[in-house]
Amino acid sequence: MGAGRLARVWAVAANTFRETVRERVLYNLVFFAVIMTLAGLLMGQLSIRQDEKIIKDIGLASMELFGTLIAIFIGVGMVAKEIERRSLHPLLAKPLSRDEFFLGKFAGLGFTLLVNVGLMSAGLALTLAGTGRRVDLHLLKAIYPIYLGLLLVVALALLFSTVTSSALAAVFTVGLVVAGRFSDVIRNMREVAPNAPSWLVGFLYYALPNFRNFDFKDRVAYGDPVPLAAMGLVTAYAAVYIGVVLLMGLAAFRSRELS
Amino acid sequence: MSAAPPDSTGPALDVRGLSKTYRTGLFQKKKGRPALKGLDLTVQRGEILGYLGPNGSGKTTTLKILMGLVFPDRGTGTVLGYPLGDRAWRHRAGYLPEQPYFYDYLTAREYLDYAGHLFGLSASVRRERTGRLLERVGLRRSAGVPLRRFSKGMMQRVGIAQALINDPELVILDEPMSGLDPIGRRLVRDIILGLRDEGKAVLFSTHILSDAEALCDRVALLRGGALLRVGDLAGILGSDVSHMEILVAGLGREVVDRLAPALKASHPLGERWRLEAGEESLASIVRQVEEAGGRVLSIQPVRQSLEDYFIREMGERTEDGWELEG
Repeated sequence: MGAGRLARVWAVAANTFRETVRERVLYNLVFFAVIMTLAGLLMGQLSIRQDEKIIKDIGLASMELFGTLIAIFIGVGMVAKEIERRSLHPLLAKPLSRDEFFLGKFAGLGFTLLVNVGLMSAGLALTLAGTGRRVDLHLLKAIYPIYLGLLLVVALALLFSTVTSSALAAVFTVGLVVAGRFSDVIRNMREVAPNAPSWLVGFLYYALPNFRNFDFKDRVAYGDPVPLAAMGLVTAYAAVYIGVVLLMGLAAFRSRELS
Repeated sequence: MSAAPPDSTGPALDVRGLSKTYRTGLFQKKKGRPALKGLDLTVQRGEILGYLGPNGSGKTTTLKILMGLVFPDRGTGTVLGYPLGDRAWRHRAGYLPEQPYFYDYLTAREYLDYAGHLFGLSASVRRERTGRLLERVGLRRSAGVPLRRFSKGMMQRVGIAQALINDPELVILDEPMSGLDPIGRRLVRDIILGLRDEGKAVLFSTHILSDAEALCDRVALLRGGALLRVGDLAGILGSDVSHMEILVAGLGREVVDRLAPALKASHPLGERWRLEAGEESLASIVRQVEEAGGRVLSIQPVRQSLEDYFIREMGERTEDGWELEG
């Protein structure tokens, strides 16, 4: 990628970050995430000897839940809203290509989520430290995969955003995220539906994004060891899946008429 | 920045055989009515070309094809010497879309800065041009106001400013006068004329024929996706007098009725009458008016206006009046 192309992707990414910061919805979600963390603190005080685990559990779960909501509800509008409002037209008339615009949007929202996850991680660490509990770097082994999962959600939201309206893109993205959270149910589908073709079950299990791969919350909260190799595998899985989804999104966006 | 174009002396824009039919239906399989049918269009460097036609005639489709927003079924062309599909010419062109919408969470200054970023302009050039353009479109005092608080006319002027941020050689404007009040229209007219004085080419579509008459070196008239006529206004409208307009006073209706066979039209204006007649019957009418005790206040030759031509060529008279159909 040449310097000019990189500069344009950067310009779109920076503007996307500015847009998400100026949208109130981001603050609302962060606010609710803080509430959830405080709720974890309260529940931790009610639980005997389980307090630290519960605080970590609820803190990480809120990070994942609210991060997913931000990724979906801002992500689905990223391209669809621009097409519907036609704010895209004067931009694409400039040297900015569709690929650069699409990748800039992904990078901008990815950075927004990084800031969001960073703030929520800091909140969780402060909660732990403020109540005299141990803050360890082991938490990063749950937070990092959560962030990778959020990037995958953004990529899916952007893909649907290029081919349909914001509302339908939200429905499709939520559907895929929910299906991906329950991928073990799909794998065991034949136990409840014996007539389901095994090739279909296998295809769905491997083709749908498996969001359980990004879930290290319990292991980290219980203090179980998480080898670095597991982090490497989840990184590779995310890189391949996100790459494929982005390529599909780019192909769809390149051929879309903006009439 | 892009390399030098292969041909910097040819027309600013030259397209041949552009055709487009939009597809409809769930899977985009069904073909609708053709939006463009083999369009040939040339814009010379340093000229203003008005692109005219009724709603649905294919004006916006043409401009969207030029800017790569929709894809033609057939056709080819060059822009500033580059092939139409080459993005290099975008560095040297500006575009205002129809009814533009810009990010309303940005201020006018921020939006122009963002647009400048996309052209790879340095921070100092962006700052200088942003200030100069906001001044030029009359928005200097609103530079720091979020666009969500802008009126439609102010938004249109931001659109014109962003189209000029790269100091383009070719400016393509889709309905630039839309939503503007008389002061805004005058301002945009002056900007367009100023661009021509700077040697830039301007292609603009409009429904406002008086603007086209006042601004254009040439006009292209589009109907039903096909080019009906293109040329300079004098060539299209002709320099011949179409009729004479005679303003008279002191005449009763019975006298005007008596003159009717020699008149093309008559319109009462309070105590006065505006009579329209051919040049050949002027002397006879003046004599009859004076003999009936009336006074001739003025006589003016009238040439065909662009509006007359447009209505005649584009419109179809129905029982209910004129109907314009693209």
